[in-house]
Amino acid sequence: MKIEVNRPAPVDIASEKSPSALSIMWRELVRDRLALVSLIILSVILLIVYGASIFLDQEEIVKVDFLAIHSPPSAEHWLGTDYGGRDVFGQLIIGARNSFTIGLAITLITGAIGLVVGLVAGYFGGWIDNVIMRIIDFILVLPFLMLVIVFVAIVPKYNVATFILIMSAFLWTGKARLIRAKTLAERELDYVSASKTLGTPDWKIILFQILPNLSSIIIVNLTLNLAGNIGIESGLTYLGFGLPESTPSLGTLVSYATNPDVLQNKWWVWLPASLLILVMMLCINFIGQALKRAADARQRLG
Amino acid sequence: MLKFILRRILIMIPQLFLLSVLIFLLAKAMPGDALTGQLAANPKMDPQTLEEMREKLGLNDPVHIQYIRWVKNMLQGDLGLSYTHQQPVTDLLAGRVGNTVLLSAAILVLTYLIAIPLGVVSGRWTNTWADKLIVGYSYIGYATPLFIFALIMLFVFGFHLGWFPTGGSVDIQVEEGTLAYYLSKLNHLMLPALSGALINTVVTIQYLRSEIIDTKVKDFVKTARAKGVPERQIYWRHILRNSFLPIAAFLGYEITGLIGGSVFLESIYSYPGLGQLFLQSIMQRDYSVVTALVMISGVATLVGTLLSDIILSAVDPRIRIE
Amino acid sequence: MLLDVRHLKVHYPVRGGFFRRVVDYVKAVDDVSFSLNQGETYGLVGESGCGKTTTGRTIIGLIRATAGEVLFEGTDLTKLSRRQFHPYRKDIQMIFQDPYSSLNPRKRVLDIIAEPLRNFEKLSPHEERKKVQSMLERVGLSADSIYKYPHEFSGGQRQRIGIARALMLNPKLIIADEPVSALDVSVQAQVLNFMKDIQQDYGLTYLFISHDLGIIRHMCDRIGIMYRGRLVEEGTSEDIFANPQHIYTKRLLSAIPNADPRERGKQTALRREVEQEYAQAYSRYFDETGRAYPLKPISPTHSVAIP
Ligand SMILES: Nc1ncnc2c1ncn2[C@@H]1O[C@H](COP(=O)(O)OP(=O)(O)OP(=O)(O)O)[C@@H](O)[C@H]1O
Ligand SMILES: [Mg+2]
Repeated sequence: MKIEVNRPAPVDIASEKSPSALSIMWRELVRDRLALVSLIILSVILLIVYGASIFLDQEEIVKVDFLAIHSPPSAEHWLGTDYGGRDVFGQLIIGARNSFTIGLAITLITGAIGLVVGLVAGYFGGWIDNVIMRIIDFILVLPFLMLVIVFVAIVPKYNVATFILIMSAFLWTGKARLIRAKTLAERELDYVSASKTLGTPDWKIILFQILPNLSSIIIVNLTLNLAGNIGIESGLTYLGFGLPESTPSLGTLVSYATNPDVLQNKWWVWLPASLLILVMMLCINFIGQALKRAADARQRLG
Repeated sequence: MLKFILRRILIMIPQLFLLSVLIFLLAKAMPGDALTGQLAANPKMDPQTLEEMREKLGLNDPVHIQYIRWVKNMLQGDLGLSYTHQQPVTDLLAGRVGNTVLLSAAILVLTYLIAIPLGVVSGRWTNTWADKLIVGYSYIGYATPLFIFALIMLFVFGFHLGWFPTGGSVDIQVEEGTLAYYLSKLNHLMLPALSGALINTVVTIQYLRSEIIDTKVKDFVKTARAKGVPERQIYWRHILRNSFLPIAAFLGYEITGLIGGSVFLESIYSYPGLGQLFLQSIMQRDYSVVTALVMISGVATLVGTLLSDIILSAVDPRIRIE
Repeated sequence: MLLDVRHLKVHYPVRGGFFRRVVDYVKAVDDVSFSLNQGETYGLVGESGCGKTTTGRTIIGLIRATAGEVLFEGTDLTKLSRRQFHPYRKDIQMIFQDPYSSLNPRKRVLDIIAEPLRNFEKLSPHEERKKVQSMLERVGLSADSIYKYPHEFSGGQRQRIGIARALMLNPKLIIADEPVSALDVSVQAQVLNFMKDIQQDYGLTYLFISHDLGIIRHMCDRIGIMYRGRLVEEGTSEDIFANPQHIYTKRLLSAIPNADPRERGKQTALRREVEQEYAQAYSRYFDETGRAYPLKPISPTHSVAIP
């Protein structure tokens, strides 16, 4: 690292460096007005949610107050209270934080598994690929929702970690398949053959030669999946088979609407959470679509 | 072609086997067994008789023997006994399956009724305001979770405006078989089916749109146009016909989505179908019903994928080269 | 002798039938033997699909040989494990046909050319950059191109980058698989002459693969004519061009377009004649299965596949 010192004119280097895939995608994203607005809205929501959740006292929020059951929005409770007299706004913040964090965790875990499996299967091919693809084909034809619900119901000591694990066990397959297909195509290109003849070990070829060429696809896929995972999580929680009660999610607030009286008359309990889920998913999707268009355009230009 | 179908079916056999093993193991892992049902009906059974019955039912046999017996029974239509309902699971399901099939079919019909005109308009007149509106709808629909949309639909059209009933599959007062009965059924069906279809349709709209845009510039279309074939005819004869077959083929893949969707829709609209039964059973720990339902949807998904793969390979021979 | 290829075979299984069993083999390379002397250029010519690329890639270890030996300075490379092969990578390098796909679009020129250095030598970043820059200048590119990306170069320049990368470890043998066929004709001669220059400077041996006899004549000392995975004739450039013996060689030669317009009529007549001879004499040069016979020497330098 010390030798870096005698690099001539670092300013020049920076100016000569052509933009990386990420910065090109970022530029395209910012140019897309809808995506930019989505990005701003999402950032604001996340800032508020994560910022406020630091200051909010979770104990205080989940404390049952029978004197204020189902009270409509007021100065004290901005979004009213639920059947236990608990502040809906506070739960909204905590729920949004949990939903987003857990959605992100699932996305990253499945992304990592999908990446490793897809790269290995695509690069090495042969029987490894065959076995992996059979497993993926099998998982993809399973009735996902029902099995997750069954697992959630029968797992002993159920908690957030087990929920993330159960979800990840099913959701890595799509990514692995995508990455595999792309790796397979990339492997046939001569730069991989060149690396082999230059004596570069396989793991380095996979990580430093092929992986950078998949980065835009991975980013697009992870973004769109993040939205999907938040949706699935809150949906399962809505049904009562998502996050455990100790970890309220946006789905928890929405699930109060299973009571027709709440659905019909106490809109402040469930509607804000529903709309927040909707807005977050729309924003992430718009960002993902814009990234996708940018990645496709890059591909067309070669 | 026949070879492809046979090979495709051959692939399905190990999948079916694995599925059954997985579900069997899950069933074993669930608390309770075939005796739990008996016990609920007759709580005063002494441990001696209980053990005898366990032995008689083969619950003390090695696992693989139990598995084989379980598969055999299933193939003969014996799915065990539901202890909350105190009746054979098969009968229980038979009473509910009609509603779920009806709901799913309605969703599919509505999906295509919406998707085809919208997709065609959007693909034919690209970049008009109509197209932009449709594309916007498809983006929003793609991002919206079904359960949120269904809840809002129920809130607005069921409770707020009161246009549709808010639960059940039919009015209890009407007599079965009368016209009023069928109308009531349809009335109860509309809102859940529409909720499902409006979300489900966006994928087909997007597919149709991009397919039409792609075919529009193909040579054979240009030739037809150069020959003076009227635009309408070009669309019907050449473009749409090419796009419809794959869409029809996707039907099988839809099954997974429909099963998942019915769980949400039936729960939100208290619609008495298999999805609602599934949730109820799992909450009441009625695991023989749960096992049966998971197995049935697993098989349905497998068969659906099989059919779609086969139809698609007939439409597009490239898929056959695996 | 630097490289000795003996009875090399590469067969690809063809699967078919209901259970996807191996029903047949594509004999991409079917019993090929030839050798390269230190410092010479050996040309491998033949029509598309005759197995030239497969031969080259098998020698360098990208494809597994089904049978046969590839002796490099006496060591059989086909028997080596990956680890054992590693030291030989320094000695054998490849120039690829497609200058676009053979350079990773996400890598800077510095990283591309330094890749072999990083695998074999422990250099400080400074030394590494010096080496890369001087090599860049050697191949005729400016030294400050090191921070550019491949897409900022023309096809000919990219091919020079590929050559620079191959030269980095001072190889003894370079396999050039159609190194100029993807380039504009105007750039082809430039790159070819440059390859000749560096051959002198570095004492390189080339295995030069091409389907263009004009280029082969310009580049090669000795030539092997390949047809359907087998050699049908081998000899010095002189032998092949002045005294072709095999009917397939004659046919290839007659197909070379003639630059002189006055000669064209004559050439057309010649071509027709050769075609006729080819049809008539086919059975004399190929056995019942359409396979060429093994090579037989007809002079110390010249061998032909005749029964
Ligand atoms: N992986 C493979 N599997 C099956 N057959 C193959 C494979 N690779 C090459 N072949 C076949 O082997 C034969 C020789 O191919 P090769 O690429 O060596 O030809 P070539 O002489 O380099 O042709 P070209 O001039 O077109 O580059 C061809 O018939 C090809 O179809
Ligand atoms: Mg070739």
